[in-house]
Amino acid sequence: MERTRAILVDITKCIGCRSCEQACKDVHGFPKETEAKLSPTALTVVEERGDKFVRRMCMHCQDAACASACLVGALKKTSLGPVTYDASKCIGCRYCLVACPFSVPRYEWTKLVPYVKKCDMCAARQASGQAPACVEACPTGASIVGWRDEILEEAQRLVLNDSKYAKHIYGSEEAGGTSVFFISDVPFEKLGFVAAPRQPMPALSAAALGDVPTVVLVGGALLSGLYWITERRNQVAMAEGEKKAFTPKDTKLNHEGH
Amino acid sequence: MAGIRVPRITLWRVIVAVILAAGLYATYARFALGFSQATHLTDPQPWGLWVGLGTLCGVGLSAGGFGIAAAVYLLGFERYRPVLRTAVLVSFLGYMSVMAGMMYELGLPWRIWHPIVMWNRSSMLFEVSWCVMLYSTVLALEFSPALVEKIPWVGLRTCYLKQQHRILIGLVLVGCVLSSLHQSFLGGLYLLTKGKLDPLWYTPYLTTLFYLSAIPAGLAVTVMALYLCVRSLNVRLDTKILSELSRVIAPMLALYGILRGVDLVTHGAIPYLFRWREETLSFWLEIGLFVVGPLVLLSLERVQNNPQYLHWTCSLVVMGFMANRLNVSITGLQTSSGVYYVPKWTEFAATLMVLTAVVMAFRYAVKYLDILPKNAGVRS
Repeated sequence: MERTRAILVDITKCIGCRSCEQACKDVHGFPKETEAKLSPTALTVVEERGDKFVRRMCMHCQDAACASACLVGALKKTSLGPVTYDASKCIGCRYCLVACPFSVPRYEWTKLVPYVKKCDMCAARQASGQAPACVEACPTGASIVGWRDEILEEAQRLVLNDSKYAKHIYGSEEAGGTSVFFISDVPFEKLGFVAAPRQPMPALSAAALGDVPTVVLVGGALLSGLYWITERRNQVAMAEGEKKAFTPKDTKLNHEGH
Repeated sequence: MAGIRVPRITLWRVIVAVILAAGLYATYARFALGFSQATHLTDPQPWGLWVGLGTLCGVGLSAGGFGIAAAVYLLGFERYRPVLRTAVLVSFLGYMSVMAGMMYELGLPWRIWHPIVMWNRSSMLFEVSWCVMLYSTVLALEFSPALVEKIPWVGLRTCYLKQQHRILIGLVLVGCVLSSLHQSFLGGLYLLTKGKLDPLWYTPYLTTLFYLSAIPAGLAVTVMALYLCVRSLNVRLDTKILSELSRVIAPMLALYGILRGVDLVTHGAIPYLFRWREETLSFWLEIGLFVVGPLVLLSLERVQNNPQYLHWTCSLVVMGFMANRLNVSITGLQTSSGVYYVPKWTEFAATLMVLTAVVMAFRYAVKYLDILPKNAGVRS
């Protein structure tokens, strides 16, 4: 398997300086104003939860709901890890917004040619060996980036060795595993993290989609069979009817003709 | 002398004019001002009335065509043949309205053709879009003789009708399979909302439930359309057929009700049935309108044999069906989204305009094409 990149966010280390937000806005050329929630011009935000700071961004699921939902394949899980968005394919159906278990993607509701906006983990920067802008800007090491297996090991080491951490790595199981992990000294549900399903989201619709060939084959065969029986019955009725008087049907009602 | 004929001002014409004006403003708002001016859609509630009513109900309520076509052509129930064209016409216009609605609903509607060349086989919506495209074509071909037979050139007409007749059974068969697929896959769209959609509606069997509810709802629409034709378009039709159709609707609703109940029990949604909250009230409203009310009414002999009562009962079924689709697409997602979505008036206006266009197109089709036999001495 190819190694993929992942980000680890240590909530205990975040001081809420919002350097990540600003770096993200710089990289994308967005207006500098701080925003409270994710928006088309704020692809990562630091939200205050009590005395804690929780950074929100795309989780870059291993098996992404949005990528399976997107009917034109504009959203893709790339081999390096980031889930990217190809605006030139998007038709604006917004099924990705509906499908995302973390409610991350944003839509440009105010624009006349609106696109979906979400963090792409600085896929282009990472492809050329650079760290994502937000991670590079983090002064405390609250956000770090690395190979996913190593990052996950690091998170496990921290959570197991230091008793202050809640005994869960958010993202290790959520939605079947993500490429952004959170560790925290406060239970995640108290920080407003959603209890996402612990399974790859596309599996939820894969079963039904897998039924397509069956429905086509069995349904087609069944219907053809029924038609054959109907025809046969008509033929028999016709043959028997020939002996008796023929009664013409009301042609006015009989639009489809014979 | 041939002066300009001023159309008589009637209540209905005024209503249509108001809807048209409002709809045109909504169209302007949507395309010249954008979603934020034309809708109350937000990131937590990205699909609203246009999807819930326009698409989910539009497609679902157009299921009558494939049901009746299957009954007549594949099962040989000749007694439904007199209403076949009406059912196919309603479905065809229904799908046209869905396509028109898509123009409002999609952010980049000029790219509506993208799914034809850009494929994602793991997307439920991809399958839906292909099925809807193909099935609309099937419906157009199924309905085409009604238009073609009005062509004055005999040669062309007979040639087309002959060719159409040759492929008709194939069309009906393909239509049934396509309908079965996309009617259920519309429910399948919401399989990905696990954890977001309220337990009263989320189930792995959303596909089955969407399919099983669409057929009786589609038939109910057919009954309503037929009744209205008889009442106001001077159509000659033995209204016994309405009773017959209703006799099919009742067991389908019962089956749906039973499966819905079993499903709720098996996935442990029972506690949610008795909580004092908006979702639960909407749920009971839906069940009352779609299952309980119609089943009680259809069991009464007085209703069974009265076209007008049947019409009202079927309108209950349709309302209940719409309640279900809106519950899945809006009410059931309210709590998890954290926003209370109420559609903007322009959303209603656009949807109403499309619906009005469908009703008017239906009216003209029944008037000028051979959809249903007419009584002698029709004024046109």
